[in-house]
Amino acid sequence: MATEARKKEIFEALYDGVVAFDEDKVVEYSKLVLDEDVDAYEAIMDGLAAGMEHVGELYANQEYFVPEVLMCSDALYAGLDMLRPHVSGKEARVKGQVVIGTVEGDVHDIGKNLVKMMFDVAGFTVHDLGRDVKLERFVEEQLKTDSEIVALSALMTTSMLAMPKVIEMIKARNPNALIMVGGAPISQEVADNYGADGYAKNASNAVQEAIQMISRLREMGKA
Amino acid sequence: MDRVGGICKDKMAPHERVGALMMGQTPDRVPFNPFAMGFAALNCGYTVESFYNDPQKSLEAQLRTAEQYGYEPVLLLGYAAYGGWEFGGEVKMPTSIWEGAPSVARPPVESEEDLEKLELPDVKTAGIIPISMEFSKLCDQMGLPILPGTSVDAITVASNVTDVSRFCRWMMKKPELAHHMLRLATDHILEAYQYWVDTFGAQKIMAGFYVTVAANQVISPKQFEEFVLPYQYELQEKILAMGVQAAFMHICGEQNLNLPLIQQLPLGSPRQPVILSFGHEVDLETAAKMFPDNIIAGNVEPQVIQNGTPREVYDLTRIAIEKGKKAPGGFFLMPGCELPPMAPGYNVYTMMKAVNDFGFYN
Amino acid sequence: MAEQKRPRQDTMSSGERMGAILMRQRPDRIPFMPFIFGYCARNVGYPIGAVYNDPEKSFWAQMWTAEMFGYDGGAMYAYASMGGWEFGGEIKMPQSEWEQAPTVARFPAQTPEAVDALEIPDVATAGCYPIALKFNKIQQQFGMPIMVMAFGCFTPAGNIAEVDVLCRWMMKRPEVAHKLLRKCTDFSKKVVDYYVEHFPNYPMMGFTGEASAANQIISPKQFEEFVLPYQKEIHAHILQSGIRNIFCHICGEQNLNLKYWAQMEYGDPGILSFGHEVDLTKAIEVFGDKHAIAGNIEPQVIQNGSNQQVYELCKAAIEKAKMAPSGYLLMAGCEVPVQAPPYNIYVMKKAVMEHGFYD
Repeated sequence: MATEARKKEIFEALYDGVVAFDEDKVVEYSKLVLDEDVDAYEAIMDGLAAGMEHVGELYANQEYFVPEVLMCSDALYAGLDMLRPHVSGKEARVKGQVVIGTVEGDVHDIGKNLVKMMFDVAGFTVHDLGRDVKLERFVEEQLKTDSEIVALSALMTTSMLAMPKVIEMIKARNPNALIMVGGAPISQEVADNYGADGYAKNASNAVQEAIQMISRLREMGKA
Repeated sequence: MDRVGGICKDKMAPHERVGALMMGQTPDRVPFNPFAMGFAALNCGYTVESFYNDPQKSLEAQLRTAEQYGYEPVLLLGYAAYGGWEFGGEVKMPTSIWEGAPSVARPPVESEEDLEKLELPDVKTAGIIPISMEFSKLCDQMGLPILPGTSVDAITVASNVTDVSRFCRWMMKKPELAHHMLRLATDHILEAYQYWVDTFGAQKIMAGFYVTVAANQVISPKQFEEFVLPYQYELQEKILAMGVQAAFMHICGEQNLNLPLIQQLPLGSPRQPVILSFGHEVDLETAAKMFPDNIIAGNVEPQVIQNGTPREVYDLTRIAIEKGKKAPGGFFLMPGCELPPMAPGYNVYTMMKAVNDFGFYN
Repeated sequence: MAEQKRPRQDTMSSGERMGAILMRQRPDRIPFMPFIFGYCARNVGYPIGAVYNDPEKSFWAQMWTAEMFGYDGGAMYAYASMGGWEFGGEIKMPQSEWEQAPTVARFPAQTPEAVDALEIPDVATAGCYPIALKFNKIQQQFGMPIMVMAFGCFTPAGNIAEVDVLCRWMMKRPEVAHKLLRKCTDFSKKVVDYYVEHFPNYPMMGFTGEASAANQIISPKQFEEFVLPYQKEIHAHILQSGIRNIFCHICGEQNLNLKYWAQMEYGDPGILSFGHEVDLTKAIEVFGDKHAIAGNIEPQVIQNGSNQQVYELCKAAIEKAKMAPSGYLLMAGCEVPVQAPPYNIYVMKKAVMEHGFYD
């Protein structure tokens, strides 16, 4: 059983591996997590996820850009794929379910994929519909999975106009579903005008926003 | 608001042009109004729905669209399905891209028993009236003419209250019920007009007469004579007698067989002009011949403005102008009915081009 | 609307106004060149795709819309997703109400081997170029200058491989990225040569842009390595071929790249357009001595903003940039959205007519 000091060392290495997009290092230390019987969930949250959170900050500060973030996410998933099967049932408590996609007419998905990854890492179950998703598909998937949140992404000014329509369609079928919107042309004001319940300014913020949204829902006893 | 650019070499401002026409004088050119309602809302980034339930947005949209295209604004907040909501039924506001105006979701009269119990609504609170009154107040603040939103006719109101199929059946099988409904509709319209006159004074008001459901696509001239003429006569006589400054009568659809009957209606005088607008179904030369003392308006086919090429719209507009200019009472270019909300903007601009090319009086 | 001046009348034709900019003379007023494509189709009742797949409809939709709103710049054929179709992939034309431009449906080279096998296409048959050339021939019939869509390097490369694939190559297999960029650059030069050959001595302007090279995607360091040398080469080739001016659309968040854009040639002068992310004052500071500046009204505001908001944004941009030493053109920061309310376009022109004249 690893000591606290050893755990800290491993978690820092995982963190650094993600931030430095060093896939080999992440794989090496993920193996150590398993070999030294370190709690896999802790390693994911305090190592990998923490590293990815810092990557989000670096991106927001324009120190990292999309190529770097893609590399970091590859490193992250290299570790995640190894460690996730070893997370115990209790710890794997799902924070919530999210349906996510880029709205119909829009094929840009880099931002959406980053947000999806953040949700993944944070312990959400993510149903990724991809891009150019027909509006009805969002409704169907939300109903099928009973996801608390539907996250809509749009990069184009034309496709953003589909968002209020999707929101209306989902709310008509399930008034309790929460809708989050994000993408380059979206702002808090636009999100409010569209009747969205949350706004993702960036990938890191998306997760925080989602957690707050679900908390509000659970407080209201509707979840 | 000063217009930017513009293609017409106008020598008069819009209100001068319309004023000259109304006084029997020759304006610099043919006035033009495209009867833009939902179109104006969409043009300014508003929803079609907001045209009908937001007086401020409705007015802004109409004024700004008139400014943009350079046509004469005629400001109105009203709708053709008037009556169902006002008499206690349910209205559906237009929300999808396929809906251009409010419609009756549930008519208040669905049986003879319903009709028996039907009462005149309170004009101050009925249906669209509060919204239309608010709109009129905004117009008044700007010194603009007021067209009451209750500008309809008895048979159209009656059909919207009972549903047109039911009303048609009553006309055939139980005419006493049809007459009862028409009586209520007429009384309501008169009450509503009195409300407007009491609020603003008659001289500020331009009345709107319509005979939409009375078109021969729905009823025969014989049915027009029995079920439309007496009530329309009463409405027009009494409303004109209130002292309104002018009136606009929209003779919508296929009405050729009704024209001799329409000739019998009170149609104003030089001091109280009534503009008669026609759909594409009535030739403008026929209209001018049968109504030589009235200003004739119309009649470019709305479907062509929406679906036709710019060339087609230009040619149709040119023809309307050439015919209308010969009308002895004067001419106002318009579409045959409301401009479709989804009409391409360039087609409306093309109509303006035709006005510029053919509409000036030497 | 607050603070309105009375609109004035033009004393130059549109051609004279644009010509004045290109001759470094002061026009009567700021030109208004909205940067507008699919919108024109909607405005005249054509399907949006017609702007991209029907040269005649595209031409007339743009000319009629320019006539209706009274803006400058005429018509041009261009779209942002160039590359995929031209190099053998598949394009999807906009159809639904949520689509405004073509998108790549199948990327032709997503592996290093596929990049190796990629051949430089024949301009006359590559992707959209047959349509573009027919469009240009119509322009020629009317004696209008032609905008040569000079293809580019990084953005087309992203459309050939897909952006995130290209980004990964940049990090892990830079030689593959460079190979692809080289092919794109060579094709760009081939396009320029083709136009010079087939429109000899005809007034033309080069059009370039690099939307994917914005800092929302890549870093300035990556720009320096993967964009600058190729873009420089393309611009130099355009000018050496005899085309005197380049219109370069520097799209998106490009503040950290400006120092690299400043190392390129654009002609004498060029016209450089910027998105709302780049302040016009900054653009003028870096480029304004040598080149005309265009921009930078945020498209999302043109679509969703109130009439007043659009007017104020335009007025502010005009006041900021009107006195740019080599001239200024009012433009959207990127393509005017298809669903923009027409009155908002009118309001942009209104702002020019009320605040854009030089006394």
